[in-house]
This record gives sequence, C-alpha cells and structure tokens, in this order.
Amino acid sequence: MSYICFEKINKKFGTNHVLKDIELDVEKGQFVTLLGPSGCGKSTLLRCLSGLEQVTSGRIYLDGEDITAVTPRHRGIGMVFQQYSLFPNLSVRRNVAYGLKLKRLPKAEIDQKVEEMLSIVGLSDKIDQYPAQLSGGQQQRVALARAMVTAPKVLLLDEPLSAIDALLRKSLQIEIRRIQQQLGITTIYVTHDQDEAMIMSDVINLFHDGKIEQTGTPEQIYTRPATRFAATFIGNYNLLDAKDFNRAFGTAIPQPEVAVRPEIINLSRQAVAKGEGLLVAEGKIASYISHGNLIRFSVDVNGLLINADVLFEDKREFAQGDQVFVTIKEDLVIGLQ
Amino acid sequence: MQKRARINAAIVMSIIILWLMIPLGATAVYSLFEDWTGIVPRGFTLANYKTIFTDTAFLSAMYQTVLICVIPILITIAVMLLALFTVTVYFPKLEKYMQLLCMIPYTIQGVILSVSILILYARNDSVLSQRMVMLMGAYCIIILPHIYNGIRNGMRAINMKMLLDAAEMLGESKLKAFFKVIVPNIMTGIIVSSLLAVALLFGDYVIIRNLSSANVNNMQQFLYQAMKRSSTEASAVSMVIILITFAITALVLALQSRGMLEKMRNEGK
Amino acid sequence: MKDKRRPKALSGKNVRYYYLLALTPFLFLVIMYELMPLIMLVVDSFKSEKAKDVLFTFENYRKIFTTLSYKKAILNSLKITTISTAFGIVIAFLGARAAYNSRGKFRNAYLTVLNMTSNFAGVPLAFAYMIILGNAGVVKQIANLYGIDFLQNFDLYSSSGLTMIYVYFQIPLSTLLLIPAFNGIRKEWGEANMLLGGTNTHFWHKVGIPVLLPSLFSTLSVLFANALSAYATAYALLMNNFSLLPVNISASFVGDIKTKPKLGAALSVVMMIIMSIVILVNNYITKKTTKWEGS
Repeated sequence: MSYICFEKINKKFGTNHVLKDIELDVEKGQFVTLLGPSGCGKSTLLRCLSGLEQVTSGRIYLDGEDITAVTPRHRGIGMVFQQYSLFPNLSVRRNVAYGLKLKRLPKAEIDQKVEEMLSIVGLSDKIDQYPAQLSGGQQQRVALARAMVTAPKVLLLDEPLSAIDALLRKSLQIEIRRIQQQLGITTIYVTHDQDEAMIMSDVINLFHDGKIEQTGTPEQIYTRPATRFAATFIGNYNLLDAKDFNRAFGTAIPQPEVAVRPEIINLSRQAVAKGEGLLVAEGKIASYISHGNLIRFSVDVNGLLINADVLFEDKREFAQGDQVFVTIKEDLVIGLQ
Repeated sequence: MQKRARINAAIVMSIIILWLMIPLGATAVYSLFEDWTGIVPRGFTLANYKTIFTDTAFLSAMYQTVLICVIPILITIAVMLLALFTVTVYFPKLEKYMQLLCMIPYTIQGVILSVSILILYARNDSVLSQRMVMLMGAYCIIILPHIYNGIRNGMRAINMKMLLDAAEMLGESKLKAFFKVIVPNIMTGIIVSSLLAVALLFGDYVIIRNLSSANVNNMQQFLYQAMKRSSTEASAVSMVIILITFAITALVLALQSRGMLEKMRNEGK
Repeated sequence: MKDKRRPKALSGKNVRYYYLLALTPFLFLVIMYELMPLIMLVVDSFKSEKAKDVLFTFENYRKIFTTLSYKKAILNSLKITTISTAFGIVIAFLGARAAYNSRGKFRNAYLTVLNMTSNFAGVPLAFAYMIILGNAGVVKQIANLYGIDFLQNFDLYSSSGLTMIYVYFQIPLSTLLLIPAFNGIRKEWGEANMLLGGTNTHFWHKVGIPVLLPSLFSTLSVLFANALSAYATAYALLMNNFSLLPVNISASFVGDIKTKPKLGAALSVVMMIIMSIVILVNNYITKKTTKWEGS
C-alpha cells in the first residue's frame, strides 16, 4: 500500500457534489501537486486529508493506518493556509513553538528545534517579531516552519503563495521545493497555477469538476495531455478540429480533435519535403504577437488558424501575409477523445 | 466538534433571546388583558389602547416628542456637515480636536450635561434661559457623537478628497461640489445616524426632566406619570414606546443591510 | 492645501480663513452647550452653598466624603455598576461567541432581537420588571400560589433588583459591541490550532481571548459608563429613595426637597473623575494588550 491512499472519496456540501469517487496514491517523500481551476475540489480533498472536513464516503489511509475517523489533532498533519494563519498575538518564536509546547517537550529542546527550523526558512533574525511586522512572504515562511517543526507525517500546502506578488512567488516556489527535498517530507500542494505545479512537483494530479482528470510527472502532463480539458489548462496548446487538420495536412487522425503545442511547429520559407513522420502544409502569416523571448505567429492554413512559436533571436523572420511552410512531427500530434 | 460548538451556540442564543423577550412579552400581555394574576391571563381587550389614544395629554406628549427630537437633529446635522467639510478639506490638522469635542458627550452623558447647562443658564435673563432653548442645546450635544461618527464614516467610505478634486477639475467650487456630490453619496449614513439619534432622544428621560418646564412633556415622562395613575394604562403607553423604538431600529437595520448590498454589488463590478 | 491651482482674487491664506467661518456654528454649539457648562460646573463645585462671597472652598467635597448618604451613593453606584458590567461582559462574551459559531436564519433572528432590545431601557424597562417581579407582579403571584420561597422573598425594589435590570440593558449593548471583534478571529487560526494538536479550550486560552482583549476592555468601559450614568431606570423603580450618584446629582438641582446646586456640582465632578479613571485605565490596558498589532 502507498504511504497515503484515498479510496473512493466522495464529498457533498448539501446538493453540491464536490468530490466524485477520488482514487489517489501518494508515495513517501514525494512532492505531489493537486492542480486545477478554482472550485474543482482540490482544496476540499486536502481538507479531507487534514480532517478539517469529513468525507461523505470513502476511506483515507496514512502510513498504513485508516485515519478516516481520526480527529484532526491526532492525524499528525502539518498545514499551511493561503494567508492569515499565524496567531497574531504571538511572536514568531511562540508561533513556531506552539505545536511543540502542546507535545510537552522540554523547553531547551523546543528552543533548539524552533531556532533550527527558522534558520532553514531563513528567518532567524525575525524570531522575536510579531506577524504584523512581517511581509506576506515572511509570514508564509513562518507558517511553513510552524507546520514542519513538529515533524508531521505529511505536509499540506493550500495555495500558500496565491496572495504573494509574482516576483517573490517565484523565489518562494524554489525555496519551498528546496526545503522539502532537504527534509524529505511528504508534501501535498494545492495550486491553480500550472507554472508553479511544473516547477515544484514530482507528480501532478490535474483536477477538473471533482474528478482527477490526469496524473503524471510534469513532463508527462505537459507533453501528453489526455483530455481536452488537460490540453486547454496546460500550456498554450492549439486545439484543432481533426477533419480540418486531416484536410490541411493530408493525414488521417481518427480522433475528433487534435492538440499541437505551438513550440514544436516549424515555419520556413523554403518548401519542405514530406518525409517519414513529417507533416507539411502551406499557409500564410495572418498575424503575430511578440512575447519577448519568442514570437507567436498565427498561420492561416486553408482557413485553419494554427499558432506557432518561434524563438526570437535576432530579427522577426516573417511579416504579415508571407507565404510559409508549416512542418509538424507527426508523433507529437495528440489526438483527443 | 464543530457540531457541538453549533449546538452550544444555539442553546446560548435561545437563552439570551428568551431572557430579552420576557419583559417585552410581559408588557404586551399585560396591556392586552383585563386580568393577569394567575399563569394564564384572562379577558382580552384593546380598551387600554383606546383610552390612551383618546387622551389629549398623551397625543400632545407624542407630538412634542417628535418636535423636540427632530429639531436638534436637523440643527446638528447641518452644523456637522459644514464643520466636517471645512476641517477635512481645509484644516486637516484640526481633525483630532474636533473628534475630541464630539466624543466628550459620550463620557459625560445626560445627567451631568443637563445639570451643568442648568447651572450656566438658569439664572440668566436672556433668551438662553428659556427652558426650550436649554433643552434643544442639550439635545444637540448629546447626539453629537452619533452624528459625527455617521457623517465621518460616510466620508471615509467614499474617498471624499478624490471626488472633490474631480469635481473641481470639472469647474465646480469645492463647497458646491460637497453639497452636490458628497452629501447625496453619504445620505444613507446620515439617515442611519439620525435614526440612531432619534432613538436616543426618544428614550431620554433625565435631560427633559431636569431642563424642561412643567408644560413640556415627552412620552417617557408621560409613561412615568401614567405608572402612578394606572398600571394597565401605563402598559399600553409603554407598548407604544417600545413599538416606536422597534420601528426606528428596524428602519436602521433595513437601511444598513441595503447599504451592505449596494457595497457588495459595487465591489462585484 | 497648496493653492497654485486657484487663480482667484483672494490669496491662498485668505481663502483658508474665509472658510473658518463655516466652523463657527459648530464652535458656537460646542462652546455654549458643552465646554462652558462643564467649566461652570467645575467652578461651581468649589463655591460655598451658604456663603455667597466665598469663591473657593473644598466644603462641598469635604461634605461628600464625610456624609454617610453621599458616601453610600458613591458606593452603591460603584457596586451596581461593577456587578452589572461584570455580568454584562461575561454574557456578552458567550453571546457573541454563539453568534460567531452559528449561521443562517436563527442567527439573524438573534441579531434582530439584540438590536431591537438595545434601545429598551429606562422607564419602560423598569416598568416591565415591575409587571413581572414587582409586589403585585405576575411571577410574585404565581410564587405565592405555589409557595416558591426564593421568588416570594425576592425584592425588586432593592439594589439586587436594580442590578438585575441593569444587567438586562447591558446584554444587547455589549453583545453587539463584541460581535465585530469575534468576526476578526480568523477561521484559519482555529484550524491551525487543531492541526498542531490543540483543543478548543487551549485555542481560546492562548489565541482567542488575547486577540479579543482590547475589544473586551473597550466594551467594559462603555458598559461601565452606561451603567454609572443610568438615571431613568433607577428613578422609575425607586425614585429618590435609593442613593445613587446620578439620582443624588439630579435631586440636588431639581426636586421637591431644598436644592443644593453647589454640592450637586461637586458630586458631578466626582462622577466625572470616576469615569475618567476608568477610561484612562482602559487606555493603558489597551496599549499593553495590543503591542502585537505592530507598526
């Protein structure tokens, strides 16, 4: 059995069916992300694991033990919330020590653990300050220290960076990942930000409408979206009608729809010969948008608009109305059900 | 765990509601029955209400109550609007002194205010020694904190400085813009605080007792005198007072929840 | 306000003083009916009741602190105020926490009842209690009928009866004052406490009450002021037969017995001093208990 097992989890709020037959396994030491748009049920699943919500049906196992009916306080779980979770009347030291004191550890041991954990999150100099004196990012690092210092069996993070501004968010993503690997702590992370999920995770679970749409490593999820939803949520996939696509490229994809990543599409002025596993069509540049490091061209192929990304090296290669040849490796074209 | 907290909450709320409703219910039952000496009251009647509503003294007390409530409130609102406009726009440094002056009545309250006004003006020969003038003055001061807070909070909520600057850019003078743009926008706040002031003055007994002459009566005084005459009649007077107070509070709650809805709608945009 | 944008005949400074005129009605009102009366009150308290030519004497204050009935008035006032405030704050804590822990229609009904009864005080309230617990009151009659001793012996027209009525009007006021403070307690704090292994009691002890403390103290001082200066309730129930500060003050200015305005002024000053001490202590404690609110 895996370290954490969700077995046929259902959760209803009144008539609202939030989680539908969720099955999910998490291995020890993994960093697992629950990714999805808001309202898809990912936070609810996290709260069911913590015990802050009761499941309507199903069972949850942690470290070989059925914890479905165990109270939150006895589950041995650490959690970091979106924001405002630090106790405002307690200093940083006493916030982090809160859980250790409840375990009645000797004072010297508590002090040592608190100081050690604060140095790991890089806030040793803030130990005697109050939460209101810290920035949002510092507060979340204290919350992280407070959740980890009791050495929980699993660490839960519920969109901990969503209230932090973009620049700081990037550095905190890397820092949280570093701390997680340093301590080897099993972590479940909830986010709606696909970049964040890609950067941090060992495994991503893509949530949609109360169900897990797809599970895989970041590479698998990115390169092989299994459903239309996965393809729209991840990256900037071209979603094309298969009939039009077959007509334009003279091939036969059996599924009704295809997904093609813009960065695997090659544009050139010279004619390209149709080769083994290579799809070629002729089109016209309809428009383009500059994204800084790359330029996204929209190419009109027989009335079918396809986005293609070209790395911006020196100067823009094509102008509006230019004739171009579009080349795609056939095995990178994904048929969707 | 959460369920237990919710059950405890329901029990506590039920006890408090019951405790608060008993005196109200008792007054109502007493005013509507001829005889209530056992557990069950007997002989439903509206006679008590008929008596008081045909009593000219009661009707005159009612009329006078309205009059002495409304005039001080109108005066205080006008004075406060002018003063708050001037201070926030032209003399922001004076704000804290103004706040202090407006909050003093909170701590001195009715008894001390009324006797100190009495000391100052009772032996004076001018118009200031007239009982009605002293009463109005005292009423204007006792509602000062409510009116101040109502208008002040309203001004804070709408970002007055920015609106006035915008109006000035469009060629309107600040004072005109204040009455054309700001006042309509904080009208709900003004009305709510006036209603709270009405409730306060409506419930006043000590100030009017100490300051007014014998021929000026409000409903509280009328009730006090009625209590000595006949307790059944007094219960009807008391019920009328309670119902009017409730109506004022209900109006405040309705206006506040409407304001809340508007705010939510605006934030949703 | 820098007046570069104002190309008018009046210079910037003059415009400002011109607007000062708009402050005069306010200043008139406040000076005539708030400041001058209070100053006169203090001045009068040092004048002699009998000798008109004595301009400064402690005679009135000496009398207050040596005459039994005045000392009693102060003690009664302090006693009833303190007890009703203590009951009020405890009930308000439980009542506001109940509102915090619940949702929906019942909570709305509860809030409506609190709002509605928050203006129910003074003469109508005293009268309602007389109907229930007065000598001919319903509960009394029922108690006589069934021989319930403690109710038969309960005397509404006493300091405990008065305290009971004071507690009544403190409840809605204090609960309504505390509810917003409870709403400032974030759900996440309770959840974090639970996950870190704390019980509900532990949470309130370590986080909930400390966070509420400033609001509890400011509510306490409002309740104290409210009870100390309450006049109508006491007068309607007991007239001048019970020594209380506000009742004695009023009686020394207005009434059937011989008035003693200078002594009344001194009593008023004593009452203001008590009020000020409570406010100062409250401000001091608030400062002490909010050091974590940060800068």
